[in-house]
Amino acid sequence: MHITEGFLPPLHAAAWTALALPFVVVSARRVHRLMQDQPQIKLLLAASGAFAFLLSALKLPSVTGSCSHATGTGLGAILFGPSVMALMGTLVLLFQTLLLAHGGITTLGANVFSMAIVGPWIAYAVLRGTQQLGAPLALSVFLAAMLGDWATYLTTAGQLALAFPDPVSGIAGSFIKFASVFAPTQLPLAVIEGLLTVVIVNFLREYSGEELQNLKFPPQALATEGRS
Amino acid sequence: MKARNGGLLVLAAMLAVGSVLIGSRQEDAEFAGTDGQAMEAVTALNPDYQPWFELLWEPPAEIASGLFALQAALGAGVLGYYLGFRRGQAHGRQKRPDAGD
Repeated sequence: MHITEGFLPPLHAAAWTALALPFVVVSARRVHRLMQDQPQIKLLLAASGAFAFLLSALKLPSVTGSCSHATGTGLGAILFGPSVMALMGTLVLLFQTLLLAHGGITTLGANVFSMAIVGPWIAYAVLRGTQQLGAPLALSVFLAAMLGDWATYLTTAGQLALAFPDPVSGIAGSFIKFASVFAPTQLPLAVIEGLLTVVIVNFLREYSGEELQNLKFPPQALATEGRS
Repeated sequence: MKARNGGLLVLAAMLAVGSVLIGSRQEDAEFAGTDGQAMEAVTALNPDYQPWFELLWEPPAEIASGLFALQAALGAGVLGYYLGFRRGQAHGRQKRPDAGD
């Protein structure tokens, strides 16, 4: 999902940056407030950021004979809410841009939008939605992380399609082209991301009950508490 | 929790290993990154497109792999610290004699 430096026309690059910026500012404020109001969850916040750091560094092989990487932003989104991850994801992407030549400064806005905004929001929405339908928590978490990962890559495909429409079939045709570069590789990788996120959440439910209570996670537990 | 998590981790590892095995059968399977392939698709669609901005710094290949390892190590280190800390705390609570439940 890293659009390489210079690979978005200036107007597109500027537009995505302008679109992503308010999310990152709100995110920074939210992280700041969270750390002031609940200093005891700093450690879990750091761990969620570390999860994204770790997963986005792992280039995983796929059945298609190509490689890609997970995003790791689903975990933080379902624990702290989606807005927190915009800042975390930006930090990850900055590290990769400046030190690893992955992504770029001009494309940072677009990459933040796909990985640190769309992915986390989709993950969060899927978690809430499936919980309301009464799905088991592990299944909800799995679907949230997996679909958040896919959503990130589809967003990248959309961004590229908008910038580079196919001369014959237009934006739609171009979107299909870019999506078909990412999708087959990302399918199994997103499943791996989903499984790893469930592993961490299982661990947290066993050993970090207090923190989860402070975060009102899982959302279902909140509802039953409210009733009693 | 332990058995279930163990199973999930094995499943994740099997998916990764299975992917390599299946992927290697593909023709010209070099396990290239999809990000790079997408940029090739851009150039295929738009042969005239010239990237208008260059990377500020590109690490030499060996250093890049080291920095990738550093990123993973930092992530795994902090995550591992947290998990070990909480687990130790929980076990400590259990072992205390006054722990009634």
